[in-house]
Amino acid sequence: MRRVGLLWQFYPPLLTILVVSLLLVTGFSGRSMRTFMEDHTADNLEAFSRALIPEMQYRVQARDLAGVQEICNRVGLESGYRLTIIQRDGTVLGDTEEDPALMENHADRPEVIDALAGHVGHSRRYSSTLGHQRLYVAVPGQLRAQRGTPAFVIRASVSLGDLRGIMGQLYGEIALVAVALLVLAGMLAFILARRFSNSLRQLQAGAEAFSAGRLEGHIRVDDSLEINAVASAMNHMADQLAERIGTAENQRNEMESVLASMNEGVLAVDRSELIIRLNSTAAGMFGRKVEYALGRSIQEICRHPEITRLTQEVLGDGSSRQCEIQLGGRNGRVLQIHASSLVNREGRRLGALLVFSDITELRRLETMRRDFVANVSHELKTPVTSIKGFTETLLDDPRPGPDEQDRFLEIINKQTNRLENIISDLLSLSRLEEENRTGNLELVDLSISQMLDRVIRDLESRNPEAAGRLEIRCAEGLRAPINAPLLEQAVGNLVGNALKYSPEGTPVTITCEKEEGFVAIHVTDRGPGIQAEHLPRIFERFYRVDKARSRRMGGTGLGLAIVKHITQIHGGQASVQSTPGRGSTFTLTLPVEVRE
Amino acid sequence: MKIHLQREIDSLKKQLFHLSSLVEEILNESIQAVTGDNPDVVDAIKAKDVQIDGLEVEVEEECLKILALHQPVAVDLRFLVAAMKMNNDLERIGDLAVNIARAQRFLARCGGRHLFADQIEKMGEMARRMLSKALESQMNRDPEGARAVMRDDDEVDTAYYQLIEKVKAEIAAGPEHSEELIGWIMVAKHIERVADLATNIAEDTIYMIKGEIVRHGQG
Repeated sequence: MRRVGLLWQFYPPLLTILVVSLLLVTGFSGRSMRTFMEDHTADNLEAFSRALIPEMQYRVQARDLAGVQEICNRVGLESGYRLTIIQRDGTVLGDTEEDPALMENHADRPEVIDALAGHVGHSRRYSSTLGHQRLYVAVPGQLRAQRGTPAFVIRASVSLGDLRGIMGQLYGEIALVAVALLVLAGMLAFILARRFSNSLRQLQAGAEAFSAGRLEGHIRVDDSLEINAVASAMNHMADQLAERIGTAENQRNEMESVLASMNEGVLAVDRSELIIRLNSTAAGMFGRKVEYALGRSIQEICRHPEITRLTQEVLGDGSSRQCEIQLGGRNGRVLQIHASSLVNREGRRLGALLVFSDITELRRLETMRRDFVANVSHELKTPVTSIKGFTETLLDDPRPGPDEQDRFLEIINKQTNRLENIISDLLSLSRLEEENRTGNLELVDLSISQMLDRVIRDLESRNPEAAGRLEIRCAEGLRAPINAPLLEQAVGNLVGNALKYSPEGTPVTITCEKEEGFVAIHVTDRGPGIQAEHLPRIFERFYRVDKARSRRMGGTGLGLAIVKHITQIHGGQASVQSTPGRGSTFTLTLPVEVRE
Repeated sequence: MKIHLQREIDSLKKQLFHLSSLVEEILNESIQAVTGDNPDVVDAIKAKDVQIDGLEVEVEEECLKILALHQPVAVDLRFLVAAMKMNNDLERIGDLAVNIARAQRFLARCGGRHLFADQIEKMGEMARRMLSKALESQMNRDPEGARAVMRDDDEVDTAYYQLIEKVKAEIAAGPEHSEELIGWIMVAKHIERVADLATNIAEDTIYMIKGEIVRHGQG
């Protein structure tokens, strides 16, 4: 269907009604007017003819043809009618416009036949002699002698041309009015259509505003009841919508914030493996922005074959799976992934949901615990094995040589000392941990340099040769709240390590300096240094860079762990920097203020 | 028809991403093996390389199928050509990762000192990042990313030459470790090749986007 404007919908029906009614009115009124005027004319003609009867009686009786003709001419001239006097046999006796002698017999004319029969005859027809439509009225006239039968007929006729003219004029006026009416109707239709379409346009604008999300602005129209009803229905709808959208938005915001504040990464993909949702944790795990990742494939964002495989499996069979992956290089995060099918309310599978938990720390602690158990059993087992072996040898051999016996006993003694060292280190570690936990260690504000002096004196008494390699650079007047025996043990451990692991004759430097709110004690050696990969774990219990060597050196593997714990209960930190081949620097930082 | 083509290309992209993530993984693992004290990973990496080879064939067949069925033109055609080349390059990088893992075995036999572990790790990380950036710029039609990859290649080259100089110095200092030093040079060379292949991908990306050939120093 061709679409047209309101104007063109209103105008044609209006026009049709107008035209049809005008035509009908004009037709009916024209016809009755015409009839009325013709009747009127016919009556006039009849009266006129009857008035002439006496005069004609007399003249026809007297056969005064010239007189007849003369009356015809005169009366015709005066009245404008055409008069014809016809004898009974049809012969024309006189006529207003023609010479009667030349006229044909008129007996066959219908009005004449009627008149000769004694009635008044009427006829309307096209006059062949005069060339237009005329009205004929014929009246019978008797001679005085013979009453009853008409001897002649007086026929009067008038042209209907005048009548037509009048009618034409009438029609013309009606047509003029009709045109005016049509224009008026057009204007009316235009105004109506415009008013109507203005209201509609307002409704449309309102609906468009609603669909664009501007639900608060109401439609205001002042029009007919119906349009107002539509407008208020739409306003109501908008209110309802706004309310529902508000509710949905609130829910969505809640969901979003729940997702966003989760520690776990959450990621949802659709069935074609495109990401439809993810929280910022998940995006951060893969180094992306949430907006960037949305709509991209999981292969592109996650970039790990295991994740791809997992997703495809879950999408394939709708099962739930989990796995663990490591991202990036050696120090990359370890992620545990739970993947499950994403199902909508009807039970149709929409995609897959992946939840990533960062278990790096967990794994690290687990490794530490496992290593600790393995290490502690290993460290304890080694001396026990050798003690056991030598004791058994001594028992099996009842007569050993005195040298041999001494040697065995010495080894047993040495290994027992070693065991004792390990156990006492372990005990002091667990004591330190306990104190760290309860926090009831007594700290006294003491001079750092005095503390260092005691460390060095202690060292000199045990190993005067090594102590000669020490270089001390200590700023004056450094004080910090410390537990002297523990800190002496820590620094002693560090210095002992430095002397042990650096070649003979190379210096070991102890530097104390003040930093922002801290006192830092650095112990620097020129030893072989430590590979970067070992640095993060070097303070762990029993962690050894070079397993064979450090045990040969007689360490328990717990020295640095003790150092770390001692600094921790002072509220400080132990750290290490090292360049392989150049040497290492161990640093203890202790806070100057007592922590509350 | 157009939609079909788009769908096929999207799935091809996914395959390429998967392929590249596999390649990145074994590259990572082999470099970790060289720089850390990880156990022998040659067999594991070889197994994954077999997977990569299979995937390469799949991707190539996919490309040929799209070419034959859809007869793409303009950007799509250039993408497919670039994808086929990239496919090749990725497979080569996989082989290089296997070579690096083999070199680790060699180095372990020579005493397993971690002389240049830090430099190699840094170079390896750079090369790996170049590869992933090159791939991303290819998939996202991002010429800027591709140009950045081409710039990064110079850095890897510099690191490579620095390492060579250090090795030379070590050899001059004493020839007793020369076998091990050769091992390190091999690893460095492989990584440098990885970076070159990543650069290739970046160059193909620029060709794909702009239709302009920037290979052989014409860029």
